[in-house]
Amino acid sequence: MKTDDLIQGLSRDLKPTPRGAAAGRLALGLGAGALVSTALMVFWLRPRPDLTDALGTPMFWVKFFYAALAGLLLSLAAGRLSRPGVRLGGLAVAVGLPFALMGTMGAMRLALAARESWHELLMGHSADVCPWNILAIGLPLLAGAIWAIRGLAPTRLIAAGLAAGGAAGALSALIYGFHCPETAAPFVAIWYTLGIALVAALGGVLGARLLRWR
Amino acid sequence: MDEIELRLRGLMLAALAGEAGPYRQLLDELSARLRAYYSRRVPPGLDAEDLVQETLIAVHTRRATYDPGQPFTAWAYAIARYKLIDGLRRARLHLKAPLDDADELFVPPGAEAAMAGRDLERMLGRLSPRTQALIRDVKIAGLSTREAAEKHAMSESAVKVAVHRGLKALGAEYGGAVDED
Repeated sequence: MKTDDLIQGLSRDLKPTPRGAAAGRLALGLGAGALVSTALMVFWLRPRPDLTDALGTPMFWVKFFYAALAGLLLSLAAGRLSRPGVRLGGLAVAVGLPFALMGTMGAMRLALAARESWHELLMGHSADVCPWNILAIGLPLLAGAIWAIRGLAPTRLIAAGLAAGGAAGALSALIYGFHCPETAAPFVAIWYTLGIALVAALGGVLGARLLRWR
Repeated sequence: MDEIELRLRGLMLAALAGEAGPYRQLLDELSARLRAYYSRRVPPGLDAEDLVQETLIAVHTRRATYDPGQPFTAWAYAIARYKLIDGLRRARLHLKAPLDDADELFVPPGAEAAMAGRDLERMLGRLSPRTQALIRDVKIAGLSTREAAEKHAMSESAVKVAVHRGLKALGAEYGGAVDED
């Protein structure tokens, strides 16, 4: 086809593009994934039996806001990496903030505790399953994010995949917090973070292949 | 640069609002710039115009990813570069070595030329002696039509006609296209 004819065809019947269409697509992908992930938590893992009491404890909300802040920042990063020519800028540093805060909190908790309780604070009762559960219920979120970003225009595929996986992992950790009864900051700083990192790594690996667009 | 950015961004914003005229103008200008960009960068075997068209289509289908708060030129450049890398990657994937017999590598020196020469003699043998001589002089020895005409005491146009008919006859006989130039 001649390029002039192509331009003619593309510019004919041009429809207005709604503002926020790109961000909306990412929100839709992550939102749909979050619904499936929540269903997995509710019907497969089950919410913790003392959930109503837990809502009154500070540590429940520490976990919640840690995961929520990480999820928000990583979603923003994934959104930027889905747009050609947009730099991460300060966001590249900011995404590290929730992890640094949680790590500091965990370290302080250990520093103030007696040596004998360290094992309990670090390992809790579910260290062996925690990261894997976060990975498992993170899969629908990751699928939703990849679907969304494929329809946008990422040009750095591995970085976009890492950010998408990180966002999916953090939102998965948020949902997992409604099941997981662990309350120690060191436990969250290590095992929740490891779960998020697993989903992020998977996102990076898959991103290189699945985020390619024509 | 700032002037270009300002103008193209203005056209893009109008296009996002649904105005076909400015959008056409934007695509026209982009296609000229893309053509210059790709023609200096594609290796042989990759068609620069294909990349221009693919990039225009990507600009169109993915125009929602342009954030009006960001530079338009950076957005368009990132798409152009992505398409260039994608094109180079595909070109590399499609480069395949033809499958030959081991003999192809170990043919004795000069054998190929000798075989081609023998085939040529056999083919020319089917033509009249004068046509054979003319084709030899003009197509193989490389004489000009005028030189061949003097040598055979013919007019230039008669030489041209005889060579043309001879080649045509060979083409009909052996079923291949014959290069008449």
